[in-house]
Amino acid sequence: MSSDQTLSADVVIVGSGVAGSSIANELARAGISVIVLEAGPRVDRQHFVENFRNLENKPSYQGPFPAVPWARHPPNQQTPNEYLHTSGPNAEAYQQVYLRMMGGTTWHWAGCAWRYLPSDFELKTRYGQGRDWALKYEDLEPFYYQAEVMMGVCGPDPAKEDLGSPRKQPYPMDALPISYAAQQFRSLIQEKTPWRVVHEPQARNTRPYDSRPTCEGHNNCMPICPIGAMYNGSYSVYHAEAAGAKFIPNAVVYKIERDSANKRVTAVQYYDPDKNSHRVTGKYFVIAAHCIETAKLLLVSADDKSPNGVANSSGHVGRNMMDHTGVQVTFISGDKALWPGRGPLETNVIDNFRDGDWRSERGAYLVHMVDDNQVDLATQLAISKGYVGRDLEEQIRYLAAHTVRLFSHNEALPDPENRLTLSKTNKDILGIPHPDVYYKLPEYTVKSCEHTRGVFRQLIGLMHGTDEQWTPGYFPQDHPSGSTIMGTDPTDSVVDGFCRTHDHDNLFIASSSVFSTVGTGNITLTVAALALRVADTLKKELIHA
Amino acid sequence: MRQDRNRQPVADWCVSPNAMRLNRLVRMSRRDALLGGLGFAVAGGLSGAHAQTVQPNASAGADQSGEVASFMAVSQRLTDRDTLDANIGTALYMGIVHANPDRKDKIQTLRALMDSSKAATAADLAHAAEKADPALKDVIHEILTGWYRGVADNKVVVYRSALMFDITKDAVYPKTYATGGPFYWTTKPPEVERPTGHPALSASPFVIEPT
Repeated sequence: MSSDQTLSADVVIVGSGVAGSSIANELARAGISVIVLEAGPRVDRQHFVENFRNLENKPSYQGPFPAVPWARHPPNQQTPNEYLHTSGPNAEAYQQVYLRMMGGTTWHWAGCAWRYLPSDFELKTRYGQGRDWALKYEDLEPFYYQAEVMMGVCGPDPAKEDLGSPRKQPYPMDALPISYAAQQFRSLIQEKTPWRVVHEPQARNTRPYDSRPTCEGHNNCMPICPIGAMYNGSYSVYHAEAAGAKFIPNAVVYKIERDSANKRVTAVQYYDPDKNSHRVTGKYFVIAAHCIETAKLLLVSADDKSPNGVANSSGHVGRNMMDHTGVQVTFISGDKALWPGRGPLETNVIDNFRDGDWRSERGAYLVHMVDDNQVDLATQLAISKGYVGRDLEEQIRYLAAHTVRLFSHNEALPDPENRLTLSKTNKDILGIPHPDVYYKLPEYTVKSCEHTRGVFRQLIGLMHGTDEQWTPGYFPQDHPSGSTIMGTDPTDSVVDGFCRTHDHDNLFIASSSVFSTVGTGNITLTVAALALRVADTLKKELIHA
Repeated sequence: MRQDRNRQPVADWCVSPNAMRLNRLVRMSRRDALLGGLGFAVAGGLSGAHAQTVQPNASAGADQSGEVASFMAVSQRLTDRDTLDANIGTALYMGIVHANPDRKDKIQTLRALMDSSKAATAADLAHAAEKADPALKDVIHEILTGWYRGVADNKVVVYRSALMFDITKDAVYPKTYATGGPFYWTTKPPEVERPTGHPALSASPFVIEPT
């Protein structure tokens, strides 16, 4: 199929999630022309809310978001999978889910908006593990704050509750008052353990903010906030469009063209759903297509000039795949009623294991007490136990009031052997290969998970818990990262400290794919901060050019 | 090399998971109907491609009303409730029978057992049923899953009206339907005493549905 038109802009962005849309918004507001190419469709919240209500398997976060055939995403976390094909000793631990649609994967996130710790950027120097980033916490601090203002993040007063990431300004909104269940958990931890429970910083409104309402506690942050009290990428899309950025949905980029010297990108090509090809030229290009799709696109674009893929002279595109591998347990507390599920999903965290000298031996982690409505789970459990009638109803009430779910984010390390490649056996309807990922958990992460299991067993004991249901093995937390790793050495990394590819002067990557290590906090705020730093670099170069 | 072939219509992404399943169901039921296989109730109830729930009355033939009446009687006994919603009951019955056509007879068996054993409570009926035929345990699970979870044939028949939310409404809201206003969650919910009842059926493995 041949190109039928040529589009052009100062900056061409691939992907409309938090990273791509926030860059588009910043640039459009500075008077720079922007085209954003989104592989998936334009979507709206109410369809997803209705889909959720009609979904039998309510905990399936992908369930309400069916993919279009030209921009498939993993339909679930099951192995084998219809789209993301994982293999290796820990294939199940890398069965990530994400969304390809306007606004990106933050349609289903819990709004957890952590800054990384300064040590997370210097793991090699401080603990002799993994790598250092090609930037320091201080370089990112102003952009963390900019991202917090953009999203509308609520969080605790650092004077009262220091989360370990130094701040120059307070959080844009006051911390979210935690639920009765979280209050009880917090008191228990404070009284009976050497640890602490902190308010989780969240991109969730504790007052009207950015024309969005205050959180009403629908307990459905994942898979879909029904009222938009939680930030997601679609709001940056709306703001960017209002500022003049052009978003093109159903535009599946499949090729990145470079000049004859292979130093600068000249255009990208995309397919529409009928496989007509379109060409988009620009001065700068940003790939902001999620960790997995970004690496896939660079590899798909291989040609004679770059036989291993674009931006891949190091051979590290698709390598160093990381995640926050999780340990999860659900049990029935023997103490007083908690009634989880009143308020937002994730509000409180044990943060004592985010950093320490032991990081030279095992990975860091954080622990969520998930404030999830457990009525459905309680009903299934009570029926399986054999209760009927009035006894069943009493059991459902008791179990729903006493079920506790804990899960962790355990730190991975960048290992080049953990690698994304193009599938040799599966292609989508446009002829683009599906992604394959080989994954073996680093021993560092395995040790971290073992430590977590010990802590969880202590907590179960403290709460006189019964009916433990451990999620088997290790499960993915959907925080994939590392596939276009950042570093100072062009021979073993893909981008520099400004997220500019070492190989191509005008090609940037805005994604968790640039992470050199993965820390413990949810990745989205760091993705947004890095993206806003890319926008800042582009503004300087384009306006001063 | 395998290539994705299933080119669904562009608008399919925006229909509900139930409607998508029902579309597939309709296609299957037409094929099955040609083979002379499918029951009248289900084929008749799924006339609309975007049907969200099975229409209770459109398909209920004269002989079916007796089946639904039996289902309702058994359901009332198994829930220890005097009243249950008949529209929901009809939809649940059709879903349960569609998933497993033999449930039609099994529910009649439960009804007969209920009468012959003079079971006065849910526990009585459950005891008698499992003793008479261990396979009836699965049928009881399906009936309870229908009323309490609002699910039959792996589809949502009702969400907000599922009984599990009726019995917990003094403490929590069904997800996406909170009406307590900002920060309602900081208040103390009701205490719940440890139940004194016992299981009436043998325990079954508890399998969490994979996500």
